[in-house]
This record gives sequence, structure tokens and C-alpha cells, in this order.
Amino acid sequence: MMKDLLNKLFQKENGSKEEAKARLKFLLVHDQVDLTPAQIESMKTEIMEVIGRYVDVDRSCAEFKLQKEAGGVALVSNIPVTRVTARAV
Amino acid sequence: MSECIVVTSGKGGVGKTTTSANLGVALAQKGNKVVVVDADIGLRNLDVILGLENRIVYDLVHVVEGECRLKQALIKDKRNPNLFLLPAAQTRDKNAINPDQMRELVAQLKEDHDYVIVDCPAGIEQGFRNSIAGADRAIIVTTPEVSAIRDADRIIGLVEAAELPEPRLVINRFRAKMVERGDMMNKDDIMEILAIPLVGIVPDHEEVIVSANKGAPAAYNEDSVVGEAYRRIARRLCGEPEVPYIALTTGGFWKSFKRMIGFSAGGAA
Repeated sequence: MMKDLLNKLFQKENGSKEEAKARLKFLLVHDQVDLTPAQIESMKTEIMEVIGRYVDVDRSCAEFKLQKEAGGVALVSNIPVTRVTARAV
Repeated sequence: MSECIVVTSGKGGVGKTTTSANLGVALAQKGNKVVVVDADIGLRNLDVILGLENRIVYDLVHVVEGECRLKQALIKDKRNPNLFLLPAAQTRDKNAINPDQMRELVAQLKEDHDYVIVDCPAGIEQGFRNSIAGADRAIIVTTPEVSAIRDADRIIGLVEAAELPEPRLVINRFRAKMVERGDMMNKDDIMEILAIPLVGIVPDHEEVIVSANKGAPAAYNEDSVVGEAYRRIARRLCGEPEVPYIALTTGGFWKSFKRMIGFSAGGAA
């Protein structure tokens, strides 16, 4: 009883609105993008190929996200590099 | 200088017609000559919200097709002689008129009125294109829900593509209690996502249904919190951008505390 009361008193914002916001941010970008999932997949593969020519990358951990930023949509990617030594191209 | 404002949302049922009616009333009460235009041909409702459904003789399509003069189709409000309704046709559809005809109609209405408020139908098709044709600016109505905000975002894109300057946002059906417990997006959350200036927040309140039952918009009621929200939107639209927002909380710490431990049955919306 007392614990519930204290929890309520010091309640943090952990309601469902954060989920709503996160879903919307994803949704709005994908509503605007006129690419099929297959096209997005092939874009990712090609980008990884190009980067892979210069450095070793961990393809399994690479992330690509389209997200809404001030002023438009950004392609944000996070690609772990496993070896930075330049190779002979 | 007269101005045409289109009230739109994309999604149906978020409060476009309620907003159009209340803004019409609030702007007229400030002494402006106002006409509210129901652009929802085939599914008209602005007439019932204003309680004028028994007075319709001619409608917007009759005017456009030249079957009557514009003045014959305008219905004067029961309560405010500055407010007029141009009703939609009920037995026709959105294709009965085109954007050029709408532009011409709005231009004519602007000659005799300070504000022309166009109540846009839901959707992004012909009815929407007709509604924005003659508008100088747009008000986007949304509710704090994922589906309504998604559609609002789409409509904002279409309004901007049509080169209407600075669409403004009305957040309708705001529930302070849900916002306070983190179960509803607040003003800042919604503005972060939609990125257009806010012009008002309207609380979710039973009054809206009672007003619709009676055919008397809440803006006529001096004691109504919903009416006050719309009166303040009207002031912001008329060049008083600094009008403060009405307090949208359930009453602060002690009230929440008492409610929590069972002293009171619930707060205001």
C-alpha cells in the first residue's frame, strides 16, 4: 500500500505516450518514402559494398534508419568498422 | 482585409466541423462579419452543429450552378447577425464542383465578409482539393492520437505543396489527466512531430456533445471551457498571438494527492 502510494507520488513519465511518439517518428518517415522494402534493402547492400571496399565492416551489426529531423528526413547509419587499415583497391 | 481559412485534418472525426462552427461564432462575436462554408458535399453537418438545419433552402451547389444568387443561399445565424452559413448540398457528391468554381465562390464571399471559414471534408481527394482552392491559410485539427497525427502530417505536406502559407495546429480532445500520467502525448510532443505553429488546444469535454445535441456551439456559452478555448483561438487568429493558453491540468499536487487517496472522484478534463 505505502509502496504503491510512493510510486504514484514519484511517478515518472513511463506511460504509453513514449511508444506512440516512437511509432509516429518511424511511421511518418516511411509514409513519405516512396521506396519498396526491397529497394531499401538493396540500397543498404550497395552502400555496404562501397564502404567494404575501403575498410572491413561488420555487416551483421550495421544499422540504417530513416528518421525525421528538423528540416527533413535523414538517413542515419551506424556501421561498425572492424579494421581500418586501407586495402589495395 | 478579408481572409479565407480552411479547417482540415485528413482523418475524419477529429473535430473539423466543431472547430469551424466555434471559430465562426467566436470570430463573429468579436464583431467580424463571418461566413462558414460547409464543403462536405453529400455529408453535410455544419448546419446541425449550428442548429440551422431547418432553414436550408439553397446550398453551395445551387450557387455554383447558377440556380440561385449567393445571398439567397446564405443562412443568417439565430443568435449572431454577423454569422452566416453556406450549407453543402446533401444529395450530390464532391465532384459536383471543382477547385476553380470554389475559388470563384470564395472570392465572392470575401467581398462581403471579413472571414470565410471553409469546413473541409475528411480525406485527400476532390473534397479536400476544392476546400483548399480558395483558402489563404489552413488550420490543421488533430487529436493526441497516432492515427490523427499521422494523417495531419500527410495533410500538412499537401497544404504546403499547394503553397498555402504557414498552416497552424489545433490540438483537440486534450485530456489533462492522461497527459499527466504519461498516457497521452502533450503539446510539446505533438509539436515536435508535426513542426508547425500551434494556435490552440481544446480540452476533451462532455460540453461538446451537449452543444451538438442542442445545435448551439460552446463558443456561445460564456462559462464553457471549450468555448473559452475557441474564443482564444479566434483572438490568436486576429493578431493577438500572445493570448495565453487555458490551464490544462487536473488541479495540481494536492488535488491529485486527494484524488489518489480517494477524497475526490475525479478532476476536470
